[in-house]
Amino acid sequence: MSNFTNILKKEVKELLTPQMIVGIFIPCIMLVFVGYAMGGVMGEVAGGEINLAILDDDDTKNSKNIIDTLAKQENITINALEKKETEHAIEEAKEKGVSMLLVIPEGFGSKIDQMEVAQIELYSILKGFGMREMASTAKVQFVIALINEETAMRNIQEAVPGKNPIGLLHPILPIDFLVIKEKVAPGNPAQLVGVMMSQSVMIPVILMIVVMYSSMMVITSMGMEKENKTIETLLTLPVKRTNIIAGKIVGSSVVALLMAGVYMIGFGYYMQAFTQPAQGQLPASIGLADLGLTMGPIEYGILGISLFLAILVALSLAMIIGVYTQDVKSAQTMIMPLMFMVMIPFFLLMFMDADTLPLALKILLYAIPFSHPIIASRALLFNNYLPVIGGIVYMAGFALVTLWLTVRIFNTDKVLTAKLSMKKFKMRK
Amino acid sequence: MEKAIEVRGLLKDFGEIRAINRATFDVSKGEIFGLIGPNGAGKTTTLRIVSTLLQITEGSVSVFSLDVREDAARVREFISYLPEEAGAYKNLSGKAYLEFMAGFFSSGDKERQQMVGKGVEIAKLEERINDKVTTYSKGMTRKLLVARALMINPRLAILDEPTSGLDVINAQEIRGLIKDFVRKGTTVLLSSHNMLEVDFLCDRIALMDKGKIVESGTPPQLKKKYSTSNIEEVFMEAVR
Repeated sequence: MSNFTNILKKEVKELLTPQMIVGIFIPCIMLVFVGYAMGGVMGEVAGGEINLAILDDDDTKNSKNIIDTLAKQENITINALEKKETEHAIEEAKEKGVSMLLVIPEGFGSKIDQMEVAQIELYSILKGFGMREMASTAKVQFVIALINEETAMRNIQEAVPGKNPIGLLHPILPIDFLVIKEKVAPGNPAQLVGVMMSQSVMIPVILMIVVMYSSMMVITSMGMEKENKTIETLLTLPVKRTNIIAGKIVGSSVVALLMAGVYMIGFGYYMQAFTQPAQGQLPASIGLADLGLTMGPIEYGILGISLFLAILVALSLAMIIGVYTQDVKSAQTMIMPLMFMVMIPFFLLMFMDADTLPLALKILLYAIPFSHPIIASRALLFNNYLPVIGGIVYMAGFALVTLWLTVRIFNTDKVLTAKLSMKKFKMRK
Repeated sequence: MEKAIEVRGLLKDFGEIRAINRATFDVSKGEIFGLIGPNGAGKTTTLRIVSTLLQITEGSVSVFSLDVREDAARVREFISYLPEEAGAYKNLSGKAYLEFMAGFFSSGDKERQQMVGKGVEIAKLEERINDKVTTYSKGMTRKLLVARALMINPRLAILDEPTSGLDVINAQEIRGLIKDFVRKGTTVLLSSHNMLEVDFLCDRIALMDKGKIVESGTPPQLKKKYSTSNIEEVFMEAVR
């Protein structure tokens, strides 16, 4: 077994403790659980069953037409009521576990016949104030829209026989097209942004989670070496410093990737809850491929290099910071500036485009190495390779310098003697 | 006699603090050489420099004729350093820890297993050798660390307070073990607060105070020179 493999194995064994494994799985299980719970509610909002009770005080052809239309809907179940007064009907509906009561008042049919505005009453029966209750609003909107559409169609058919009621009710049907460079495809900007956001948000999330976990692991490993007083022995072993650094970086990355992988599974389930189309809304059917907004193997390869370099920069920076730690606790505090460096581009680029930022923010953004994979994930979709290659060159240079610095520091006695003295800092101030 | 360690005019500063002030001494091959002195005398710093851990401000240190600055990597092949407050990897078992350490000094699996077998024998932790280090007492951890330092048959063992944290019986056992290793050819440089231990173990000693070597020689020579019955009194006389 080579020295590198020996250190790598030790790192993984040291970091992957039962406590750590429990710490990985609990957030994951919680995310899956929350995802399922949210998914159920969102599913209800999106296309869940509507349990409807109807009190027909009008009892005319028009009211019966409405009831027939509603009964024909696959997602609507109509419950019969015995009570004939609204108050009692509400009680009966509650007892039957119905979520909505539709009351068609007397005179409804005659008003419709006279083409006047007719009222109906819709009672949403709430059992709490949670997300589930949000669904009832969408259901009410859906039922009202259905009744309005059906009534309008019948009125038009009677008023203008022989004509297509849809043509009169919706005389204009817009067809949206998007033009990106030389490509034209159906769709509108809102749909495109929606689809792009759902796809492009994943790259920053993956980057943030992997970078955070891996740099946390590296610095924890250094903190543990110092806290357990094993660093001195390690540094007197006949092992090249580069092997020690590489073993720590790779070992921590293995554990971090495992953690990030498990976390991403949980996150994936969680995100699924929010990707359901709303009631009556068609799923986004925008053709990204028609617009040339897809990535091929080469683009994915380039993005992979960009992500790898960002992770390498984070790990080598964490190693340098790790030199100044005294124990695991101080290590976790000292990693915070690095975490901020990861979070700044994540949040900035989630809501804004790099080109739209003020100059100072733009400089800051480009100076932070972790911005580049996020920028690359978008630029590659538009075949804009210049910022991507520039970012890769910048990160490669940054990684080389930080790795070189790490090796240099490990070849000195700073690993043993360096510590950040806040006292000194305060005194100087 | 051939020299295992040669220290010439060693000077080590930590900022404005002078930890070692022009120390000069030699350690012969197959010898047990002890550095003794009070806290802050510079013993640990000297051991750390010989172990290639700390850099030298001025002077020179060589181990088996190799300069610790220029040939640090080669020096590490010959030495085994046991720091005073060392610990072991808490999430590894005692045996896994020995296996990890043996991996750096063995050329194959057979040799590695031989080293580990020897380590297990020295540590005398019985079935507890398979338990995680985090469950060990301070004394058990120290025994494991001593075993780690000696199982590889180092040419030079650098032991900082080797029996620190051990009870009388275990400490005596470790002292016997160190003597055995020296008989088989290992050279030992150690530091200790325990003057009895130094008297029992060391062929020669150097007394350190405020970073300086104030006296050196064999324990009988020094006792005779200062007309005292023990090393403690020698030390008190020498620093007076």
